[in-house]
Amino acid sequence: MKPSTSRPGPVLLGRRDFLKTSGVAAGGLAIGVSLPLVAGARSDADASGANTEVNAFVHIAENGDTTLYCGRCEMGQGIATALTAAVADELEADWDRVTVLQGDADEKYGPQGTGGSRSINIMFTPMRQAGAAARAMLVAAAAERWGIPAADCVAENHRVTNRQNSRTLGYGELAAAAAGQAVPDDPALKTPDQFRYIGKPLPRVDMGEVVVGARTYGADTRLPGMKFGAVRHVPVMGGRIVSFDATEARQMPGVIDVVRIDPIDDRYSSLGAIGVVADSTWHARQALDKVQVDFEPGPHGDYDSAAYKAELARNVEAPAEPVHRRGNLAAAFESAATRHGATYLGGHLSHSPMEPMASAVWVREDGCEVWASTQDPAGIQRTLGTFLGIDPKAVTVHVMMAGGAFGRKFKCDYVHEAAALSRATGAPVNLTWSREEDTRTGFYHSLSAQRIEASLDEAGNVTGWLHRAAFPPIASTFNPSVERPSEGDLRALVDHPYGIVNLEVESGHAPAHTRIGWYRAVYAIFYGFAINVFTDELAEQAGEDPLEFHRRIYRNNTNSEQKELVERSLGVLELAAEKGGWGKDLPEGHGLGIAVHHSFESYTAMVVHVELDGDKVKVHRVDCAVDCGLVLNPDQATAQMEGAVIMGMSLALYTEVTFREGAVVNGNFHDYPILRTQEAPREIHVHFTNTGARPTGLGEPGVPSLAPALVNAIRAAGGPRHRSLPIKPMKV
Amino acid sequence: MADTLKINGAEHTVEVDGAMPLLWYLRDILHYTGTKFGCGMGLCGACTIHLDGQPTRSCLIPVSAALGREVTTIEGLSPDGTHPLQLAWIEHRVPQCGYCQAGQIMSAAGLLAGNPSPSDAEIDAAMQGNLCRCGTYTRIKQAIRSVADDAEGAA
Repeated sequence: MKPSTSRPGPVLLGRRDFLKTSGVAAGGLAIGVSLPLVAGARSDADASGANTEVNAFVHIAENGDTTLYCGRCEMGQGIATALTAAVADELEADWDRVTVLQGDADEKYGPQGTGGSRSINIMFTPMRQAGAAARAMLVAAAAERWGIPAADCVAENHRVTNRQNSRTLGYGELAAAAAGQAVPDDPALKTPDQFRYIGKPLPRVDMGEVVVGARTYGADTRLPGMKFGAVRHVPVMGGRIVSFDATEARQMPGVIDVVRIDPIDDRYSSLGAIGVVADSTWHARQALDKVQVDFEPGPHGDYDSAAYKAELARNVEAPAEPVHRRGNLAAAFESAATRHGATYLGGHLSHSPMEPMASAVWVREDGCEVWASTQDPAGIQRTLGTFLGIDPKAVTVHVMMAGGAFGRKFKCDYVHEAAALSRATGAPVNLTWSREEDTRTGFYHSLSAQRIEASLDEAGNVTGWLHRAAFPPIASTFNPSVERPSEGDLRALVDHPYGIVNLEVESGHAPAHTRIGWYRAVYAIFYGFAINVFTDELAEQAGEDPLEFHRRIYRNNTNSEQKELVERSLGVLELAAEKGGWGKDLPEGHGLGIAVHHSFESYTAMVVHVELDGDKVKVHRVDCAVDCGLVLNPDQATAQMEGAVIMGMSLALYTEVTFREGAVVNGNFHDYPILRTQEAPREIHVHFTNTGARPTGLGEPGVPSLAPALVNAIRAAGGPRHRSLPIKPMKV
Repeated sequence: MADTLKINGAEHTVEVDGAMPLLWYLRDILHYTGTKFGCGMGLCGACTIHLDGQPTRSCLIPVSAALGREVTTIEGLSPDGTHPLQLAWIEHRVPQCGYCQAGQIMSAAGLLAGNPSPSDAEIDAAMQGNLCRCGTYTRIKQAIRSVADDAEGAA
């Protein structure tokens, strides 16, 4: 008999469902909290008004049912559970009486743009404060009721106890009175030994819905009278539709309209597209196939990404624009005992979440309502405000669960398109992109070329380092005149983890020929790759064990400002090495590789165990060591690292988006092959250093360590030294 | 020829073009949105349903090919969400974004229905058509393994 896993407990409901089934806003205690980043985020408690939208984070009804709001967007990283658990912990709430709601776009939630692994970083303390403030108000209400000092009242597990006589009052009984209490400015927070949910492996609040198909994503929005859309984009950035003929398409079954969607003056605008609205997605797509479109490719119509990568690879051999110089690199190179140089390359990547770009939009005379899988609800308000010529606040955005996002769903071009289709037809329109459009007209991870040259002294210490990086930067998407990485883009190289005394960082000219976007871990992917593989090469040249070499160069970093970086990097390095069995005897054709990287304020190291069989690379086991400070939810943090390993393997081995004649050649999972289950490591082990430092995010920081550890392992197993990703590109 | 099919035990009269893929009939006409669109080419498995008990990619099957047959979607895999795999998915905390998981569970359920205690290689073979971009493969296999091992113990 299996233990039953069905338990009453928090569930995550779509906002509309929830309002249908309960009177959340009627009565009870509702409080927000002032956030350091947002002025006026605290809303007034209003215990009497029905249908009032008063509260950002906490609502306790008079029956004690407690609703916690998550303002950050959920895309599978578990943030709706992690952040509300922090509120519930400080609130001393009974988790089984908690319902978690996803907040709509609203500045009362603070910043909602969910990217850069920042949710935990910026929201952990404010969310705790919200819970602690509500607890203090409940305690104050109880003290008033009993006529005793608040110090004689203690809140625990949804009740307040009178220490003088052990009588208790439930949170529900206190809610209305608590709402009348002053919101404390600086409520006392728990000490870590008092945590009941923080640091515990709480299950995600929405597991039960997922396994029965009841969790609804942007693509799943269904409304009365809803129509369905399909789009075909201008295939080249900067191109345009010259003309189109929809005569045949308009005669097709179920077709309601064929709409030309032009770009607007907004950073997240559609590329330009022909859209069809029909009574089903299938009819819309069938009809779209019959639309004859004459595209003009524009200035990037001859973009060839393979040729461009080769050009950047040549260019980084020659000096580029200096961004940072310190010490005397020429002298270091002059007096070197050993010199080494290498060039590292990477291709464009598509995020390819399993749910393609999807949203539903209903443009009405009185405003606009959106149901979107999104990472940036405020961005949707801004873009649609521009498109429709209305106040962004008149755009209601319901944040739907995103079926994967990885940075792509920060950009709301697909929502702009759904709005255009809704405006043209007057109906609510659900637009779900085809996989081909998703693959071919995205915002891509930048292709890159990096040249590293370094000098070593007799003892094998790194005495000088030149790092020249050329890649089209993300800023080019918003400002085409940006044609090279900025100093900010190159910050991770300027703040070199080895504390290099004689350092030069150069920015290579690399104009963009497609839209460049954030991809999970962003530039850290290729920085982590180049630095770690180059370090492995240096160790090989010095005839030294790579772990020993890493230890030595980190220990030799005497920059006092990097003391913490050195300690935490060494911490994860040692833990990964120990758990991964570094130095153990392996059969012929097997190898271990190691890498360590610091990004988004967290630290990860990985040891990868590979076996080579001809061209085949089999990954047996990956040991990940993580220092993200205090771990809010060990199970979800582990899941993020497991996911980073799989995405890291996809980009190390297979995935690359190829452009020819301006347009993407790949279209679907046969020619953009993400990792499949039979190639996944049988064992992924995730270990935490548990340093107890301030908690930092983990959505991205695992990704950069995998590819270099894998490539280093292939070398250790007797294979070639790979310097270009992916190492097994698909011929397209 | 029949113009009806059964979905999760309920009879439906088909009033759409028979060429419409079953996926879009389920999602857009009947609003069974648990079955997901991922690729439209049978490459990702997100749309997996059971057709007369066999795991099938609903994006490739026209409605006409399902007439007179029994379709089971994730919504109908068990009456109350307590199929052993659904429980195992929760116990092993498999889902991240969860979008692919309906298809994963339907493929796994099809496997175990015909082979209650598959080898690791058989699990790989049955699941290789189901992609997960979040990277939950390791947990999926642990969850399947746990149900399979229970079946083995009971046998």
